Amino acid sequence: MTEANVNVVQSGTGSVPEGWQPHIVALVCNWCSYAGADMAGTTRLEYPANVRMVRFPCTGRMSPLMILRAFEQGADGVLVSGCHPGDCHYVQGNLVARRRFTIFRSLMDFIGIDLKRLHFAWVSAAEGHKWAKVVTEVTAAVQEAGPLPSFASPEGWDGIELPAATGTGPNELDAAQLDAIRTNLRKAASEVLMADRVGVVIGHGAGSLPDQTAPVLITETSDCEKLEWGHGCHNNLSTYIVSALERHERVAVVAKTCDLWAISGLIREGQLRRDQLLVIGVQCPGVHNRSELAAKCLACSGDPHPICDLVVTVDGVRESCQDSSEATLDIPDARDEQIAHLESLPHGERWKFWQRQFGRCLRCYACRAACPLCYCSSCIAEKHRPQWISTAIDNRGNSSWNIIRAIHLAGRCSGCDECARACPADIRLDLINRKLALEVERQYGKIGLDPEQKSALVDFRMEDSEEFIL
Amino acid sequence: MGSSWKLTEAQLREWLHGLLDANAVVAPVEEDGFVLFRPIASEDQAVVEPSGKARWSPKEFLFPRSEALYRYNFTGGTVQLEDPPLPEKHQVLFGVRSCDASGLVRLDEIFLSGTRDRLYAARRENTTVVSTACAAADPECFCTAVGYSPVGEEGSDVQLVPLDEDWMLRVLTDKGRDLVGDAADGWTAATAKDGKRLPELEKIISEQIERSPVNREWSKLLEEGFEHGAWERLAQHCLGCGVCAYVCPSCSCFDMNHEANAWCGEQCRSWDACTFPLFTHHASGHNPRATKQERYRQRVLHKFAFREEDDEPFRCVGCGRCVALCPAGLDIVNTVAAAVEAIQEEGPDAAR
Repeated sequence: MTEANVNVVQSGTGSVPEGWQPHIVALVCNWCSYAGADMAGTTRLEYPANVRMVRFPCTGRMSPLMILRAFEQGADGVLVSGCHPGDCHYVQGNLVARRRFTIFRSLMDFIGIDLKRLHFAWVSAAEGHKWAKVVTEVTAAVQEAGPLPSFASPEGWDGIELPAATGTGPNELDAAQLDAIRTNLRKAASEVLMADRVGVVIGHGAGSLPDQTAPVLITETSDCEKLEWGHGCHNNLSTYIVSALERHERVAVVAKTCDLWAISGLIREGQLRRDQLLVIGVQCPGVHNRSELAAKCLACSGDPHPICDLVVTVDGVRESCQDSSEATLDIPDARDEQIAHLESLPHGERWKFWQRQFGRCLRCYACRAACPLCYCSSCIAEKHRPQWISTAIDNRGNSSWNIIRAIHLAGRCSGCDECARACPADIRLDLINRKLALEVERQYGKIGLDPEQKSALVDFRMEDSEEFIL
Repeated sequence: MGSSWKLTEAQLREWLHGLLDANAVVAPVEEDGFVLFRPIASEDQAVVEPSGKARWSPKEFLFPRSEALYRYNFTGGTVQLEDPPLPEKHQVLFGVRSCDASGLVRLDEIFLSGTRDRLYAARRENTTVVSTACAAADPECFCTAVGYSPVGEEGSDVQLVPLDEDWMLRVLTDKGRDLVGDAADGWTAATAKDGKRLPELEKIISEQIERSPVNREWSKLLEEGFEHGAWERLAQHCLGCGVCAYVCPSCSCFDMNHEANAWCGEQCRSWDACTFPLFTHHASGHNPRATKQERYRQRVLHKFAFREEDDEPFRCVGCGRCVALCPAGLDIVNTVAAAVEAIQEEGPDAAR
């Protein structure tokens, strides 16, 4: 909401004012690029004066938040510069940063920031000449991109028609089959409670509207009758596991196949142990989102996955528990065409598309609350000293929030789409998450259900790709 | 005040067209496949339907999601303060459902009683509300169960009533009369038969809403059972987001923050919700509503209890949006009924 006292040029008209000069913020590492810039100065090299530098201890300390803050406060371009791989003062800070910025860059591109505005470079303390060259190139590129488009919902804009996501979805289950599954599920739940295998069963109970359920935590066998099954079982119940473990030694959770990734993510990140959990996988008819089959279901068979401890189908209940280190879960995504369509459009159109969506954001944080992997007890959005994300519920603050939420989940997101379902403003968070998942997979390969594997953005390889780094 | 006319949809849109000259008109608009209140530039944009609600209420046009209370900047070694300008154009909220219009009156009670909120009061005085009675209930609607009506006049200056094909336009206040002005010259007066449509709609909709009514005497009971153990069970699947408060037509809580950089800034008031832990978090670190159930209980009781007079309306107007949009399927009416049942059966102090 606050206008910085740099002149924010509104490019609504598309015309660049005469004599306009870009504002560029450079985030630089103290140990190399900062000294490199110093070197450029002492050797009397000439380069454009558009860059304002901010000094950091390491590129590993730089968060996408800082880049976003620069754009939010009126910068037209951002340059991030650090030490060459192998030269990091802290051994590997720049290698972790390299992965982080690779993924962040692809997200900024996706939401409509022209990549002419966002640059990364390795400049050592001895490379005064390289610093001058990089700044000259970056300034020219930002000059060409023009003033940053305004953070505002587009007015009088028709919007973008995305191609419909297509797919047949899981096999249709009729009422009798759903009844059979429900009965089997109740039986399975009551047996695990009765045998004292778990202290609580987290499942779906009746909701008050069509295609709606409400999560229930069942501790008595007599309450197992409350368990429901059908198109309304949206919730990824792994969100409730960690709090249930505060009271019970072992927890059973009812899971659709799309919920399993989140469970393995929670185990991978040390939030729970596999032996604290009994997973009841249930044959799924697909869930309905605002009375239509949810996009995530279109390519899914609905069959329960063998890594579940118990598998519930129309036919009955059986023990399963396949070793997860060898399991795969590969469901093609019906939305990839929508992502490709968005990517085929010019940056300006994409910016409008997302600004309209972000403009609707109420900052209710339902996306965060519904996400099984957003488990931080204190979120960056609530930090005040320093405050990185504006609390003002407007396009600037909302853009930062939605981008940073996605980045914090990059390489971790389980693709369960709970954030997008929970969003009252229908922001297509699912497209953002999917885009990031595709990019992470393309760059660093896919990780499976094995909780022993590290997720991509906390890991690095010396040979990671860096074709975009100057 | 009783003036009413019967208008065709074309006449209605023509009137709306006329309103656009002198007013900033906010109306339900379709955006990305759903309906929202938005400022409109042409009468064709407005969604005028006999039933159906916008995704959330139009309260943000009186109580914006975020607004600057004052701005400051440091220049020449001194601090300059500045009041943000208020919009001068008269505002018309068009096509507001009765529940949402009542919601605005609930906001008035908060912002205009006692110390009047300067910014809210200025916007409110500068706003005329054109409400639309409902011809059918949405699945989540329950206004008649909480003492409101689908054809209620509360908070409306002009009311539109869906007839079979046409619309009945009723002027309810002086502000409404000013808004209609001489546009009514060519209109046909409504007949007594058209007038009967109101009780008829009320009857149809109360039959569609199958919820059992919330009893007004339950307020006291809920307050007595404040510490009842049932709240833990009732709130256990609450995810602690703010959807319910933000889509609610009557929720009015806010937070203050400085949004600033090194040179300038503003004191910014933004929506907040009692379901967030930070809402009651003291600077000392103490939080009087430390748990999820205390926070959820606060929200439920603020709608259905804590009333000073017995005839005060509930602060829940029954739009049902919080039920439809809650990611965890919490249902405020069922919660009230379940809490009351537990308190009645087990006594107000029962642990669980």
